[in-house]
Amino acid sequence: MSVTRTFLIAFVAASCLSAAGTASAYHTQFIASNCNYAAPTPAPAITRDGSATVALRARYEGYQWGGGCWNDNNVDDSPGDETENPNTGGEGGDCSGFTFKVWRESETESNAGFYQWGMFRRVHGPYVAAEFKIGDGAPNITYAKSALIKMDALASQNHIGMIYAKNADGTDQIIEAKGEAYGTSIWTRTYRGDSSYGGVRRTGWSG
Amino acid sequence: MRLPCWARRTLAGQAGTLAGLAVGVAVIAFSGSALGHQSVGVQLAGRLAATHVPPLLTTPEEPVALRYDAYCVGSDEGDESTCDVHGVAYVRPGESGAFTEVPIVEEQGATEGRYVASLPEAASWSDGFSYYAVLVDRASGATVTLPSGGASAPQRSLPLGRAVQIDLGTHAFDLTRRRDARVAEANWGGGDKDVGLEQGRNLSPIGGASFDVGRDGTVLILDEANRRVLSWQKGARAPERMPVAVAGTLADMSLAPDGSLYILESVAAPGRSPLVRRFDGYGRELEAFEIAEPTSSQIRIGPDGPVALQHPSGQWMPVASGGSPLGAAGQRSRGRAGRLIPGGREIVILRQLNEIRVALRRANGRQQAWRITSKTRLAEVQLAEPLGNRLVLVVRVYTDDRDEFVALVMGERGLTAKFSLESADWAETAPLSRFRVAGSSLYQLGSTPAGLFVDRFDLEVS
Repeated sequence: MSVTRTFLIAFVAASCLSAAGTASAYHTQFIASNCNYAAPTPAPAITRDGSATVALRARYEGYQWGGGCWNDNNVDDSPGDETENPNTGGEGGDCSGFTFKVWRESETESNAGFYQWGMFRRVHGPYVAAEFKIGDGAPNITYAKSALIKMDALASQNHIGMIYAKNADGTDQIIEAKGEAYGTSIWTRTYRGDSSYGGVRRTGWSG
Repeated sequence: MRLPCWARRTLAGQAGTLAGLAVGVAVIAFSGSALGHQSVGVQLAGRLAATHVPPLLTTPEEPVALRYDAYCVGSDEGDESTCDVHGVAYVRPGESGAFTEVPIVEEQGATEGRYVASLPEAASWSDGFSYYAVLVDRASGATVTLPSGGASAPQRSLPLGRAVQIDLGTHAFDLTRRRDARVAEANWGGGDKDVGLEQGRNLSPIGGASFDVGRDGTVLILDEANRRVLSWQKGARAPERMPVAVAGTLADMSLAPDGSLYILESVAAPGRSPLVRRFDGYGRELEAFEIAEPTSSQIRIGPDGPVALQHPSGQWMPVASGGSPLGAAGQRSRGRAGRLIPGGREIVILRQLNEIRVALRRANGRQQAWRITSKTRLAEVQLAEPLGNRLVLVVRVYTDDRDEFVALVMGERGLTAKFSLESADWAETAPLSRFRVAGSSLYQLGSTPAGLFVDRFDLEVS
């Protein structure tokens, strides 16, 4: 079967599936209606405070497995999507996509530079949580958990969240894209002491 | 470029298939957009967010400084230069009298706690001090007050005083105590005797969000995935089920002496704060009311009703008083550094680095205090509860790849008991919901890939 014929069959099949999805009340079309694929803006340097600001803009927005595009209206515009379906077209990043954008990383793993993506830029980045955990990619390194400070991250095999603040009782406030039922926000967590989590640092902060 | 795992699976087919799929989806997506789906609005109003770790318990030998971080949200994304914050801390010795203004200045080069009010005179204040801060973003005019109750409920810093010193040394892993009894047990699932796992197994496993133990030994587990509470009567092998209409998620739960069950949710409706729901013993919702602040990690029962630890203020606030719910202003105006417990006492906790400071403060101002140090890293204090005239404290110790809990029973002269517990935390729960004290026993909520359990450890206090 030629590539052309395969292409046509797949095109028709995908069109039908997507149309069916569009007809359903289930899909929100958030990505289709709001998101773009613009090139990121290179930045000469980034600070932890600047990244916290990027993250705070996503607070109270949605969660989309495999996603990476949101607005700033403090509403999850695609609530109730399937938890483990990357194709529901909803608002929000997932945990690793959110971290990638907040840390303003490159889609090229060998590039440790700084790239401003913008809220509406749909991008997930090349790393899942397990890859962040082992410090995969030029910008990311593993780091002692006890030495982590704000906007460093704690990552497990299947989740990553960034430290927003410390609490007096030894817990951390974590800013994270937690899940479909949670969206993206700040919660008190105990990831730091949990042995399933490791410390991760984005390199190159200028402050 | 390496693709994330979900995308790798998605892209596992032939190149032609992939191209066709992509173009097909793109065409439909474009047409969907063109056919009238509205873009959702963007909010760009100036907002200021601030964080602060209060120096709740201080010693004379250390300098006291109030440190804050502040973030201006609403400027251009990631703009590194537009946050221009200044502020004032209002400070007074003790907890009455007029406040004195202390400027909050930016400390150049500081990565954390950049905005600082130094209090060199604090060491001479025998009753500590109380304070609040107002931070302002010059660019937008946005302000934030921490704690949010301001002058009516300032944060309190107490002198640790004469504290019992407890040195845990280097923690020896794998010497954990065996349980005295397993008092509840369930497999993961949706059956009558199961506890549900939220989000499935590919994302972080979440299940059995919290638990509590009644005076009669009944164990209650919040099975929020299945929207119910499972209860094990003392000695029962199988649970009874009580449906509860909770929205979840990773909710904390506390059982009141009158049998009411208070459940603190962690996710709120848009523009609102999370809810506390009160249920009776049949699972009927009696009332629901909002907490004052956006985030809360714990709900416990105080002498006058439920209290919740709320952030960003970092204060325990009553959410109801005398049986009546309190509005946001009422909660904020009653915020406290410590948690009030029956008998007019208050527990204040501060963990910093490898040290925990705990004060058990009586209504007459007398205070019992402990200073616990460790060569192994200390994480969160999971529990601090009185047990007669002693205090039970559970803290997590950790290295980069190990963790266990350590339970301490502390008296006036030092440790009366100490033992280690497996972390047993395969599934995530509400952050500080893994332990409870009931009677003279400590209970632990644990989990494995197979299921969830509650174990009892008798403290054998004479």
